[in-house]
Amino acid sequence: MKSEILYPGAFPMVRVELAAREHIKAESGAMVSASPTIDIESKMEGGFLGALSRKLLTGEKFFFQTLRANRGAGEVLLAPTVPGEIVVLELDGVNEYLVQKDGFLAGAETVKIESQMQSFSRGLLGGEGFFILKISGTGPLILNSFGAIHKVELKPEQEYIVDNSHLVAWSSTTSYNIERAASGWVASFTSGEGFVCRFRGPGVVYIQSRNPGSFGAWIRQFIPVSE
Amino acid sequence: MTVVPNALCFGAEFPSAGAACHVEVSSRGLTLHVEGCSPETDGITVPFSSLTVSVGGLDHDQLVLRWGKEPSTLTLYVKDSVLIRKFRETAPPDLTHHFDAAADTVRQARAHRRRTWGIVVGSLGTLALFLWLGSDWLVDLSVSRIPIEWEQKLGESAYRDFLAQQDVMKEGPAVAAVNDMTQRLTSRVTSNPYTFEVTVVKSDSVNAFALPGGYIVVFSGLMKKAESGEEVAGVLSHEVNHVLLRHGLGRIVKTLGLAAVVTILVGDPQGLAGLMKQVGLELVTLKFGRAQETEADLTGLQLLQRAKIDPAGMIRFFERLSERDQGQTEWLSTHPMSATRAERLKVELASLPKTTLEPFPFDWKKIQESLSGEPMAAP
Repeated sequence: MKSEILYPGAFPMVRVELAAREHIKAESGAMVSASPTIDIESKMEGGFLGALSRKLLTGEKFFFQTLRANRGAGEVLLAPTVPGEIVVLELDGVNEYLVQKDGFLAGAETVKIESQMQSFSRGLLGGEGFFILKISGTGPLILNSFGAIHKVELKPEQEYIVDNSHLVAWSSTTSYNIERAASGWVASFTSGEGFVCRFRGPGVVYIQSRNPGSFGAWIRQFIPVSE
Repeated sequence: MTVVPNALCFGAEFPSAGAACHVEVSSRGLTLHVEGCSPETDGITVPFSSLTVSVGGLDHDQLVLRWGKEPSTLTLYVKDSVLIRKFRETAPPDLTHHFDAAADTVRQARAHRRRTWGIVVGSLGTLALFLWLGSDWLVDLSVSRIPIEWEQKLGESAYRDFLAQQDVMKEGPAVAAVNDMTQRLTSRVTSNPYTFEVTVVKSDSVNAFALPGGYIVVFSGLMKKAESGEEVAGVLSHEVNHVLLRHGLGRIVKTLGLAAVVTILVGDPQGLAGLMKQVGLELVTLKFGRAQETEADLTGLQLLQRAKIDPAGMIRFFERLSERDQGQTEWLSTHPMSATRAERLKVELASLPKTTLEPFPFDWKKIQESLSGEPMAAP
């Protein structure tokens, strides 16, 4: 399986080349086009209960689509729903990423996806909900962001602060605490940041340059209110 | 490297996401194989004596091993359970002591998380149970916080709206009789904050209802059906007690639910009017609960007794209506009659002390005749 990002920037796609019998799993609805040798299957990753828990707990889609090169090699084009960049990470069996629910686009068949419960304070205040996706295994993992994606590299013990709505994914070797953005409660909210995540290395943190929640709030003001 | 990686290695020469490496534990220490690293690092053996042990990672569930001096410090993150077990078995006691302390921290963190979730789930469960079991108490608490004036405004607007669409009897012996009965009943009420207003509406319906704030409507059909003034007084006494016990408000609060309770408890009863509008709640068609009916029955019976009106009239009228009409009477459709309900009233009546009854001064037959100019009740 080989992947290539087309039209890097705000409206990219990813082209995945599959050898015969190879398959990938992708977020439901992510396929744009495919060779005629590719079959699309709908699969509940992790079985019915796994899919149900993922749907109920993380809000991620119940079904992933499986794109399988049943009748020979072929290519698949995949695109995320929101405008934003795509990044391809290579999993080697040891590194593990935690991904917020909208960040997953596709992954090799050997990539393992689980829902993971966060601690109460992280779930309540972290902005990603109580459950996030834990992605491990081997092979390429394709993530997407809202806006541009930025990689923050942290050395051991190095700290970095990220606004909670801007998180896409982070390695499981990093840890983070939720804290107020400013020293006072009022200042935390009037600064417009509310809560932030203080990450501690080593590892990488992928952040997105736009905040989906704020964008939604901004766009809402232009939507006519029906009587 | 052909072996499967089992740890991530961090250091100046490695990528920031960590380099996949294979670690072997032996009595000499750790042997490290990292793919694509310099020959000085690959295959090196680190003695246990130069290692520091801690835990790390998002869930504090990874073993962290560190050695070397800055800036060439190397850090290993190990999650592989086989490797962790091997390390624990092989490493000298002073290191495993650190390791055990670290493992304790992990266990404590996990227990803390479980406890937090337990508390959260438990509190939510308790709250749900409290709302489930304590809903009546919450409703009563909310109702007690609604000012009488506001209750009267609410009832009056519904009352005027209703009467505007009805043929109202303004005067006559029937109106006088009903006012007389109400006067006798309400004068016996201790600490009555309401000014009761009773209107007779010309209609074949055998019905009567009370609105919050002391507004009562009696249909002429009910008066024609009654065989004595005491029977009508029984219905009136029942309705007066619905008002006194603020049953209407309780019903409103219950129908509107938690939103109403919160609105009232935070001191905004005016907001309830807006809430009611949203729900489109019609006060006139509001049904009382079974417990409220029983309560109004019993207190109604006691009030009749205090007003020296024969309480047996009330029971008689209820029983007769239920026998004859089999659910056809409007009053019974909102006040379902049952044998137990009548029985309970009889028991209550028997337990009341005997008093000298004062019959009404008017002739009931004449009052009914005065009504016969109005549309007659169906035979």
